Amino acid sequence: MTNTHLNIEAVSKSFGPVTALNQIDLKIERGSFVCLLGPSGCGKTTLLRIIAGFEKPTAGRLLLDGTDISEVPPHKRGFGMVFQSLALFPHMSVAENIAYGLKLRKTTAKEQRERVEELLNVVELPHIADRTVSALSGGQRQRVAIARALAIKPKLFLLDEPLSALDAKLRDNMQIELRRLQQKFGVTTVLVTHDQTEAMMLADELVVLDHGKVQQAATPTQVYRQPANSLVADFIGAANLVKAEVDQNGQLALFGNTFKVAADHEPGTAVSVAVRAENISLRPAQANGGSAGRVVFARDLGAFKEWLVSVKDQEIRVRSSASDASEYQVGDLVHLSADPARLSIFPFTGSEDAAN
Amino acid sequence: MSTEFLPRKQALLFAAPAFIAILPFLGACFYILRFSLSGEQGTIEGLSFQAYRDLMTPFFGRSVWLTLKLAFVATVIVMVLAVPLAFVLTSLRSSFFRRLLTISILLPLILNLLVQAYGWILLLGPSGVLNSSLKALGIIERPLFLLFNETGVLLGLVQTSLPLAVFPIVGAVRAISPEYLEAASSLGAGHWRTFKDVTVPLLRPGLVGAASIVFAFNASAFAIPLLLGGRRVQMMGLVIRDMISPLFNWSGAAAAGMILIVLTLFVLVASSWLVRLTTTAKETH
Repeated sequence: MTNTHLNIEAVSKSFGPVTALNQIDLKIERGSFVCLLGPSGCGKTTLLRIIAGFEKPTAGRLLLDGTDISEVPPHKRGFGMVFQSLALFPHMSVAENIAYGLKLRKTTAKEQRERVEELLNVVELPHIADRTVSALSGGQRQRVAIARALAIKPKLFLLDEPLSALDAKLRDNMQIELRRLQQKFGVTTVLVTHDQTEAMMLADELVVLDHGKVQQAATPTQVYRQPANSLVADFIGAANLVKAEVDQNGQLALFGNTFKVAADHEPGTAVSVAVRAENISLRPAQANGGSAGRVVFARDLGAFKEWLVSVKDQEIRVRSSASDASEYQVGDLVHLSADPARLSIFPFTGSEDAAN
Repeated sequence: MSTEFLPRKQALLFAAPAFIAILPFLGACFYILRFSLSGEQGTIEGLSFQAYRDLMTPFFGRSVWLTLKLAFVATVIVMVLAVPLAFVLTSLRSSFFRRLLTISILLPLILNLLVQAYGWILLLGPSGVLNSSLKALGIIERPLFLLFNETGVLLGLVQTSLPLAVFPIVGAVRAISPEYLEAASSLGAGHWRTFKDVTVPLLRPGLVGAASIVFAFNASAFAIPLLLGGRRVQMMGLVIRDMISPLFNWSGAAAAGMILIVLTLFVLVASSWLVRLTTTAKETH
């Protein structure tokens, strides 16, 4: 039996003539960590704001444990939210911020004090209860905002790009901490981000949104390995989208190699092939003919090396692990070969060129 | 701060004309202070508190009380009117209606005070529009005396000082990020609770600033009590003028002026001190 906590049914949202969300269907499992991922303007924040109750859907409804909450105002939903700006009240101390939601719930001063202390211990900031918000560092504010949202024992824990203002190292630490906290409390969590690394690190389920639609909802591994369409493939990881054609024998030619493809691709149809930078390998070529390409950009990023190879009129991104000893310089001629097991083939729609 | 709008030296240079413009005013203040301590009524002669001693009369005391009372009541009324207006103004989405409302609120600042006062007289005077209509309808027999008394002055003060309060409050409302309100809402606060717990505290500096401007403006009012008070409402501005114009008591007028300045400053400093006291007491609690 599945254990759906929040069921989003055919939710659409328009702002005047602009459609922000188009028929979103999504089931969120109890206790799961869901990341809404997509480029800016994809509708992910609008969806989170609809869940929180700050926006009303134009159509569709939200079911929490089977009860329709579409008309319930945000202050009666009991969802804890961490905002992009954090929105810690500047006129209250850290303890007052965390206790605010409890104060509204008619708890005693003693209960409030204990809960504040408990949460400050959980976020590892035990001695800052009496400080003002302005006296805190960025990372401390982050934790206080998380503590404030969790203090009310929220039914859902919602986060709107909460880590985007932190520097890389701190963000990395906070991601791990956030994941631990979520598991400790077992709270159903929805986080919005445009950072795919963050999403892959945190999510049990990754929901890729684009053009107001759910493009794919699956585990991070599935989304990465088996992207549902070329939009997902393009957005997740460093993918190359290459236009190719399935020949009369049902074979696909890519970088001068041919592969057998699944029968559902009609011979003679144009397809777009998504191939990740790390699934392509290079070997030296002698002449600039046929499938050979020329290295136009090379960099060593420590963990891996990366090259841009100009093939025909397209630039292909190629990555190798740091242990790979191969050295190619700008101007070198190379042959490319892709790992046939790691290709994703989609119908060619014409939008692929723009994506590259 | 690492980011400055202007390096200090350049800012000082650009501000120099303003300093020069302020100087005559400071000079005048000093001159009034000196004159108030003069032993003679018409010239600066010797050093004496006689002018202040002469003001210690029941008449002047009543004038001080009346001035502070009317300025205070007008400020309270103006703030009650201005806060909702400011919220309406910031919530209007249509730029046409926003401009229309802005201009309507601003109009008193553009129009001459004299014109505004005569407008009130035409509307509310003994033979004005309101009284003649009520009489024609048979609701009243004798005209209502809405002007040439404290009510009339209060009305005028509220109307002329309203824009001074609305725009600082609009600025303060705009400065509040909607995410604060949403955060309160997500934690369980309804509209009124959010307003009380978040909006008002965040607005407080803006409200105190607006109220201070309105109070100072009304305490020093002259044209409005003159035109709408009909000489019966002796606010300090009028009293000071009467000392100068028919009586040529320059030192008395100067002393009364000093008392007005000191009282106004005292009220402003005391109110902002009170506000700071109540907010910091909460924070350290």
